[in-house]
Amino acid sequence: MLSDAVKTRLREIVGPANFLDSLEDRISYSYDATLYQAMPEVAVYPEHAEQIAAILRLANEAGFAVTPRGAGTGLSGGSIAARGGVVLVLTRMNHLLEINTDDLFAVAEPGVITADLAAAVAKHGLLYPPDPASQAVSTLGGNVAENAGGLRGLKYGVTRNYILALDVVTPTGDLLHTGSVTVKCATGYDLTQLIVGSEGTLGVATKIWCKLVPLPEHKETLRAVFSDMDAAARSVAAIIRAGVIPATLEFLDHVTINAIEDFKRIGLPREAEAILLIETDGQRDAARAEAAKVMEILRENHAQSVQTAANDAERAQLWAARRAALSSLTRVRPTTILEDATVPRSRIPDMVRGVRDIGRRHNLIIGNFGHAGDGNLHPTILTDARDVEEFARAEKAIEEIFQLALSLGGTLSGEHGIGMAKAHFLKNEIGAAGLALMRAIKHAFDPNNVLNPGKMMLDANGE
Amino acid sequence: MKCGHCREVCPVFLETGHEAMVARGRVQLLKAFLEGNLELTDGLRDRIFACLNCDACRITCPCGIEVNEVILATRRAMFEAGKPLPDPHRQLRERLYGEQNPFGQKRAERGAWLPEKYRMPRCAPLLLHAGCAISYANNRVGKMVLQILEMAGADFTLLGDAEECCGDPILRLGDLDGAKRQRERNLAEYRKYGVETIITPCAGCLKMFKHFYAERVDKVPAQDTADGGAHPSSFSPHLPPFRALHTLELFAEMAADGRLKPQKSLPKRIAYLDGCDIGRHSGVYEAPRAVLRAIPGVHLVEFPAHHESSRCCGGPLMASAPEMAADIAARRVREALEAGAEMIAVACPTCFINLKEGANRAGVKIEIQDVTALLHRSLK
Repeated sequence: MLSDAVKTRLREIVGPANFLDSLEDRISYSYDATLYQAMPEVAVYPEHAEQIAAILRLANEAGFAVTPRGAGTGLSGGSIAARGGVVLVLTRMNHLLEINTDDLFAVAEPGVITADLAAAVAKHGLLYPPDPASQAVSTLGGNVAENAGGLRGLKYGVTRNYILALDVVTPTGDLLHTGSVTVKCATGYDLTQLIVGSEGTLGVATKIWCKLVPLPEHKETLRAVFSDMDAAARSVAAIIRAGVIPATLEFLDHVTINAIEDFKRIGLPREAEAILLIETDGQRDAARAEAAKVMEILRENHAQSVQTAANDAERAQLWAARRAALSSLTRVRPTTILEDATVPRSRIPDMVRGVRDIGRRHNLIIGNFGHAGDGNLHPTILTDARDVEEFARAEKAIEEIFQLALSLGGTLSGEHGIGMAKAHFLKNEIGAAGLALMRAIKHAFDPNNVLNPGKMMLDANGE
Repeated sequence: MKCGHCREVCPVFLETGHEAMVARGRVQLLKAFLEGNLELTDGLRDRIFACLNCDACRITCPCGIEVNEVILATRRAMFEAGKPLPDPHRQLRERLYGEQNPFGQKRAERGAWLPEKYRMPRCAPLLLHAGCAISYANNRVGKMVLQILEMAGADFTLLGDAEECCGDPILRLGDLDGAKRQRERNLAEYRKYGVETIITPCAGCLKMFKHFYAERVDKVPAQDTADGGAHPSSFSPHLPPFRALHTLELFAEMAADGRLKPQKSLPKRIAYLDGCDIGRHSGVYEAPRAVLRAIPGVHLVEFPAHHESSRCCGGPLMASAPEMAADIAARRVREALEAGAEMIAVACPTCFINLKEGANRAGVKIEIQDVTALLHRSLK
């Protein structure tokens, strides 16, 4: 419980306009995009790193939890105030401070919306590649905390590949600078990369130096329909083996295709077992040559049909299917559980079959779609949280999906993070030694466990 | 799903940055209320009333949640539960009940702007419903509408002094009975004059005719009630359905078939703002553009978000939160300028007034004109 004295002090630190403790505001900061919910006592909007430092020092003195939050659109419970206390909303720290077109980096505050950053640098012919589906609303700080991925992951990598340096407020309220804007840096432990993906448990980033790359000159888009899922999977493998790394290589399964046709009617063949959406990008000739190679491979692997886009309007049409995937699936049942278990690319057919089998055995509707190129599929369970019995089956199915991914040499999460959603399974993947080491690191950064406690099984007594 | 995509498009959220001021937040607050974790507090009420009803959230919501319907239903439930309205809305309601218009100007003066021949209705297939904004706040455009219709040789009438507020502002307050009363009064009048088509220059009225009024006429029985007794509504038991058009839809038809011949050139770069009531709520996007394109010299540019994705001007908050309304309008003005526009054209009297506030707020010079006024200028 926050004392009145603490609340007064918080109000002084951020100013009354940035301090919210009404019940309505507390409720609005109690959730994210998962089914988890936990009430904070207070939400504050800091505007400077010094304020965050003061808040964290106070948290250590007075013994309350501080949970950082961006847009609150995370998919693993990272911004849920599991231990109450203060929610630190970073959206008012939203300035894009610098775009350096010589050294190819941008400097942004954590509250900058990812799509806004990408649009701003695009004006200079540059690309900030990580493109999570939430990019129009999610924040750079949130993306850094969760090591967000996106559709470009296969060719371009993920958030952690684009963070050069950070200003961080540590959980004890110290100001830390990590990394370097230089292209290479071999200086001490790589604290930048430890903090990226640490899910807001090791520090609060207050300034983020992002690497930029040149904006590709040209894009080619193809969409292929397969009547046989294995053929689609073989195509994916063959494309990579042929030395083509497409910018995007997305997959939609039979359930997803039918959901799209039920709700959007864009004319996809309902009997199709798989649809692949592929984009190559780069210099014009290279992108075209790669696309031609991809086309050849798709045909060799018995794609029922392959469509290409001659212009942006046609490109948008081909993309419509992929864009409609999640929104169509969400309309099937009231509750949507979006999973993220990832496997090596070569095991995708086993993963898709395994998930289908899990769905059948538990009598659940599960759609599968996602980033076939990098093995990061999104098995999506469509259920109704009010149906206690069915929901229990869904929870069992989720556990089995985790087990399946691990058994195929994969990982619990490709891009959504562990947070609360997968914390109880973490030990199965990293083992007792891994968990002990993570806890030791957490303790070194945050001896009093004030910053985002209750996540990733870091609390010694469990979440 | 709580995906939060509404945060990208909600004008009130973009001004405040408060999660409780975006669709996701409001829906979650209502969920908390339904689950017994939140009472019908003033805080809940105020956030429900701070919504523009623009429905941009519905368009962007991956699950298609009908947020505006939820907000309006909540306001009705609050009203029925006897929850007092927020002060500015209570004052609005007093004006609406007092003088049957949101401006609080005298009921008896509603038709005063009309040339004498239009103050009394006659039988005609086409009826022009002027609306409160035209009648009380912007009769300049109203007079232009009359002149354009005369130029095109249209056979039309108005209710004139007998016209009543369509009921939209009162419906949006949550007062369903009040809105029904307005509906019945207007429908009773239309019935007397054999109206087949209603045209209106007011987008809010158009929305009401297409949905709220249509709901009523669709359920009308074809025969007298079997027991010969009183129909549930004693006002107008038998009503044929009528077509409802924005005046610009009729003007677009008339420009296309030559009844109207815009001649005078208007060499300007114009961005048309798809107002929420005429656009998302009434489905009319092309007619205003068609009218503008019929004017020689006009070069149309688009706002970055347009048609179904258009962003609200902030007008619905003019009475209750004028600072925020002006800030939202200022954003629209800046967007128009960035799109290369020298002028913003609108088809809604609320957009017209509020965008001018927005231009002041943004400290820029940009012309704001009603599409009708631009057509009128070109027809002279």
